[in-house]
Amino acid sequence: MEMLTLFAIFLVSAESTLAQKFSGLLRSFRLQSFFLALLTLLAAYRSNSIELYFVGSLILIIKVLLIPHLFQTLIKGINVSDNLGLFVSPQLSLFSAGILGIVSWSFSNQIMHGTDLGQLIIGVSFFVMLVGIFLMISRIKALAQVIGLLMMENGVFLAATVIPGGAPFFIEIAVFFDILVSAMILGLFIYRIKAIFTHIDISKLSGLKG
Amino acid sequence: MLLTIVGVINAILHLVIWLASLFLLGSFNSGGHKIMLLGYFYLDALSAFMIFTSATIAFAAALYSISFIRTDYNLKKISRNKGLFYYLLFNLFVASMFLVPVINNLGLLWVAIELTTLISSFLVGFYNTKHSVEAAWKYLIICSVGITLALFGTIIFAYAMNLASGINSFNWTELLAYSGKLDPNLVKAAFIFILIGYGTKAGLAPMHTWLPDAHSQAISPISALLSGVLLKISLYAILRFGIIVVKCCGWSFYPNLMLIFGLFSLAVAAIFIIVQKDIKRLLAYSSIEHLGLISIGIGLGSDLAIFAALLHLFGHAITKSLMFFGAGKVAQTYNSHELKDISGVSRVLPATGIALLIGALALIGFPPGSIFISELLLVISAISSRNYFTAGALLFFLAIIGGAILFHFGKVIFGKPPEKELSPNESPGLVLTYVFLIVMIIGLGIFVPTIFRHSILSAVAVIKGI
Repeated sequence: MEMLTLFAIFLVSAESTLAQKFSGLLRSFRLQSFFLALLTLLAAYRSNSIELYFVGSLILIIKVLLIPHLFQTLIKGINVSDNLGLFVSPQLSLFSAGILGIVSWSFSNQIMHGTDLGQLIIGVSFFVMLVGIFLMISRIKALAQVIGLLMMENGVFLAATVIPGGAPFFIEIAVFFDILVSAMILGLFIYRIKAIFTHIDISKLSGLKG
Repeated sequence: MLLTIVGVINAILHLVIWLASLFLLGSFNSGGHKIMLLGYFYLDALSAFMIFTSATIAFAAALYSISFIRTDYNLKKISRNKGLFYYLLFNLFVASMFLVPVINNLGLLWVAIELTTLISSFLVGFYNTKHSVEAAWKYLIICSVGITLALFGTIIFAYAMNLASGINSFNWTELLAYSGKLDPNLVKAAFIFILIGYGTKAGLAPMHTWLPDAHSQAISPISALLSGVLLKISLYAILRFGIIVVKCCGWSFYPNLMLIFGLFSLAVAAIFIIVQKDIKRLLAYSSIEHLGLISIGIGLGSDLAIFAALLHLFGHAITKSLMFFGAGKVAQTYNSHELKDISGVSRVLPATGIALLIGALALIGFPPGSIFISELLLVISAISSRNYFTAGALLFFLAIIGGAILFHFGKVIFGKPPEKELSPNESPGLVLTYVFLIVMIIGLGIFVPTIFRHSILSAVAVIKGI
């Protein structure tokens, strides 16, 4: 079951590189977070730990429901087009995702020994992070950068909750609220960018150079 | 009037904190450490040194803010409420920087450093202009990506800890106790993430791209705090992890990485300083240079070199703050950051002119400035460890940067004053700030007080993991 969920996370992440509209990217992020929550709840079930149940539900509430809802409200409020603006075509993006997959597999192969599931988890979480970075640098709109960042954090959370010795409960909660706050602040800055520049194209934010 | 009163109270508060931090520094000058509050907080000589550095610059910035904020208010750049909001953010920002050095938990350390980014992003975007919002956005996004990588590294560290000991812990003291048993392969991989992650926020090239934007667009007292303290706070996180890496993998992997990043930062800064057109960006690039120098000191790894690095850390903090205060005053008076618009400061703003002159000379390592001593020690330790390439590269880049800074500031300070009407005013608070910093810069260049020297030596022992 864990394997299956991990595979689902892998697929959803790869699929997110195909999205050309913000709503599509948000849906991918939602699905990815949902599977992450599922994986955490599974781990909670196996180890019978109340803390992990709590973390899983938090992911469900904040990353699957609250943050996507906030961004949907934001995009309606500032009235920008739904297009992400791709520097790299969807086909090439998917191809790049494949290469990132190979990179992350060889990375996890390098550093992990023995444990199969551990290696898989590190591999997938690294892959999710790389896809997040890729989305941030290959999409024009500011919104895509925020989702890319949140995806990166999903990748880190995947490693934190599932590998043995990952984050202790207290830390995990602290990190979680930090991320929530940073998502809100980023949203706020998107709002300001829209108000001052009248667009949210990162490629046109080039007043500062040299 | 209200803004002035709040500013004065703020400055007095930070003076008290500064004196307390001096006392704290003195209490660790023979080594030792304290663990408090359920093991979540931790203090040793290195923490005390970082807190003292932060408190010094925070006090100077608080003193400088009084006249700066009032002038901005008089020039109608900000409203009264915004001025009050500034003091709130200022204190939150400083508090978050005090928090970082006393945390004993690597996960909470991450949270605290992320907190400094989130709070300071509002201070970078404070004026709400096109440029400042752009700078704040880049700052937030690039540093968030960096710090997410650092979190990943932290988790791999914890995993290595779990493999070695079976304990599920992020506590720094516990990690240190098991550091000899950790899997070197995992630790090295984790450290690369840590170095790139926190290195982004420490402004090491090539992850520095946000830095000139953010430091130049931030409100001037905050530029000083960003350059003088915040960069070093992130470097502090790297040093903390470095202690574990050294115990686990020996003195080759981590110091070599620091040397490479340090030299690269120095080279990048040199190029951009020569061609710079904006006074605050020039200073921001110079911060990259000095962070590079500190990294080189850590990378050389001898007791002398690390001592030099820590002395440099403090010396750069006070000198760069002086420069940012001066440049901020100049930019406010001339209403421009552009080097082409600014000239003849010595005649328009005499005190600021003197401060900039002393600051610029001290910054490029002219005696008797404290940076002269630390740079000299760096070169000596590079030569005595037979690292001739580093010594040569150091001298080469320092010469280039020194020439470039003298060239730019020579015109700024001594050039012909502009034709247009300016309304210069230098308040006593401003002059007091300059004097406070100049006394320390020159004082440390002539003589390093015994207490200070012993405290730094204790901090060196912490970094070497003794």
